[in-house]
Amino acid sequence: MQIADFLRLEWQQFTRAAYFQKSLAIKILMGFLVLYFGVTALLIGGLIYFIAEDAAPNVDPLVTVNNLLVIWVALDLLLRYFLQQLPVLNVKPLMAMPVQRTKVVRFVLLRSLSSFFNILPLFLYIPFTVVLLVNDYNPIQTLAWFVGVVSISFSINFTNFLINKNNTLFYALLALITLGVALNYFGVYDPRAFAGGYFYALFDKPYWVVVPLFVMYLLYRSNKSLLLNGFYLDDLVAKKVSLAEDSDFSWLKRFGPVAPFLENDIKLIRRNVRPRQVLLVSFMFLFYGLIFYTQDIYMEMPTILVFASIFVTGGFLMTFGQQVPSWDSQYYKLLMSQNIPYRQYLNAKWMLMVFGVLVSFVLSLPYLYFGWDIYAMIAAGALFNVGLNSFITLIGGALNRTPIVLNEKAKAFSNTSGFNPTQLLIGLPKIFMPMLFFYVPYKLISFDAGLICVALSGVLGLVFRSQFLSLIERIYKRGKHKTIAAFAQES
Amino acid sequence: MIKVENLTKKYQGVEVLNISELSIPKGQSFGLVGNNGAGKTTFFSLLLDLIRPATGQIHSKGVRIDASEDWKPFTSAFLDESFLIGYLTPEEYFVFIGKLRGQSKSEVIEFIAKFEGFFNDEILGKRKFLRDLSKGNQKKVGLIGALIGNPEVVILDEPFANLDPSTQIRLKQLIKSETQNTHTTFLISSHDLTHVTEACDRIVVLEKGQVINDLQTSTETLKELEKYFSESLED
Repeated sequence: MQIADFLRLEWQQFTRAAYFQKSLAIKILMGFLVLYFGVTALLIGGLIYFIAEDAAPNVDPLVTVNNLLVIWVALDLLLRYFLQQLPVLNVKPLMAMPVQRTKVVRFVLLRSLSSFFNILPLFLYIPFTVVLLVNDYNPIQTLAWFVGVVSISFSINFTNFLINKNNTLFYALLALITLGVALNYFGVYDPRAFAGGYFYALFDKPYWVVVPLFVMYLLYRSNKSLLLNGFYLDDLVAKKVSLAEDSDFSWLKRFGPVAPFLENDIKLIRRNVRPRQVLLVSFMFLFYGLIFYTQDIYMEMPTILVFASIFVTGGFLMTFGQQVPSWDSQYYKLLMSQNIPYRQYLNAKWMLMVFGVLVSFVLSLPYLYFGWDIYAMIAAGALFNVGLNSFITLIGGALNRTPIVLNEKAKAFSNTSGFNPTQLLIGLPKIFMPMLFFYVPYKLISFDAGLICVALSGVLGLVFRSQFLSLIERIYKRGKHKTIAAFAQES
Repeated sequence: MIKVENLTKKYQGVEVLNISELSIPKGQSFGLVGNNGAGKTTFFSLLLDLIRPATGQIHSKGVRIDASEDWKPFTSAFLDESFLIGYLTPEEYFVFIGKLRGQSKSEVIEFIAKFEGFFNDEILGKRKFLRDLSKGNQKKVGLIGALIGNPEVVILDEPFANLDPSTQIRLKQLIKSETQNTHTTFLISSHDLTHVTEACDRIVVLEKGQVINDLQTSTETLKELEKYFSESLED
């Protein structure tokens, strides 16, 4: 077995994956998405030099960028921890084959470098390096810096796999990052400049490049020995087995016939990796407002702020809701052959989504800092989410027939598989409806009238709740066989 | 209990099932045998309205299966792992199924207590999730789950596969006693000719989607089936 054979297997796995065997339209759409991200990264990489020059005219732009780099490193580490997984499971069929272990392990590790998370930084660093060279930076020094940051990026790749196996290491790193942020916030010490100094040293004294290279090599070695030692079915390849916690759900009884579904959904979220990821993403949505409320330009464009406010409380509602029958894809045949009223099934999901909005609304209390207007806007957005967005999202979900493997992390790009043109069309009103509801009365009457209108639209949705549920029920019934067939396919 | 008329199913223009007439009386244990691709699972999926027939229809207790959902309260099935909820413990799964079928938690617990021997101390009270059980133990859970709530029709696809020998024998006894005591109609497919002839009153042989033999089980049935399947080798 040669590296070429491994590569062929990988290629087949990629092109034959269910999500790739979609219609041409989706392939084109995905192509555009990849292009979009690629071009955005290239642009940032190419322009950051000039932005830095603009922001701090008296400082070498490379120093400014180096000072920011540590933030990127920390973010990269966190993102990878939650999203990137070492592709060990593909190894299982090879274990009993006449292939040397070291070869397989080496391949697994090198292959992990081709992940999206390692390619994206290249898209940033390469154009930046080119700009540096064009601006007459010393080519050897620049190259050393480039090799240095890329090996740091790859080191993060390998570190991630180590901390993924070891929670203590993760918490230690998290504590370190928190400490850094705190030190910076209270003005005791700026770790950005401290780290920036190190990054600059790569440029200043190019021989320092051996340090990140050596670290990368060490991390590669420790991953390799970890994998080699764990090359048994009961070790790495085996899934972690956990035991059920004792919990009492009798308090759910008050919800009547919906209770068993609610109970199941709560267990679904608590006991599976994918839904927990969704929880994390929804939590991050809470901070979405910060991007907009802190900018003076947006403060004069309240319609944009309405858009942001929808996301502050709607994170869970949208991320969970848009995959609604998909969460149950692994046992959909059971549900479809049991005596299940769709109404109760949907009702349980709806209640969960509403609960998500309420929790987010409570957690968004600190936004009061930005004043009553902003908070009222978030409240109006929450009402829109509960009354209208919830149903629109559920309709979109009903058209989404991508199965979900509950207890595995989402692969990068696998989210796009849930993409279909109809869903996109349904997604548009989620964003533009509240903006429109606000904009018209805001222009004609006043700011408050706009907010009242957004809130009223939510109340109106609640009034027509039963009609909405019936509509979604009809979509479910009409698509029943298609959905069963789609969910039966491995994702 | 179950009446099949002119039932056909096509995939991409190729006919995979064609049953012009078949009726299964109440309380019968009905065995379906046939090689891979004979249409056994397709037939069971049609019985549960998981796929749509090309032509024809199935009535279960007078309810047309692809037109109404009223067959669901008295029908239960275990076809494959997609009938299990991986993140539940066996007990939670049984209680969930029970609630869907109008049973209280205590009724379900009382019911599954009867199957302690069947579970062989590996399933109840272990707090393990279904996804972490072995294939055989998962199957046991699915099979017992399909008996919860006094169903009148129970559909089991390959129930003997993956089970250990003791459980296979127990399952045979269970099917026999359930058909006798509660007049439950069992529909069972199997590749194991010995087990299926012992467990079922009637055996239907499917080949390429067609019914080619319909036997009331007797002492001769097993020989007849073995002869049929070894002859098909010689063709």
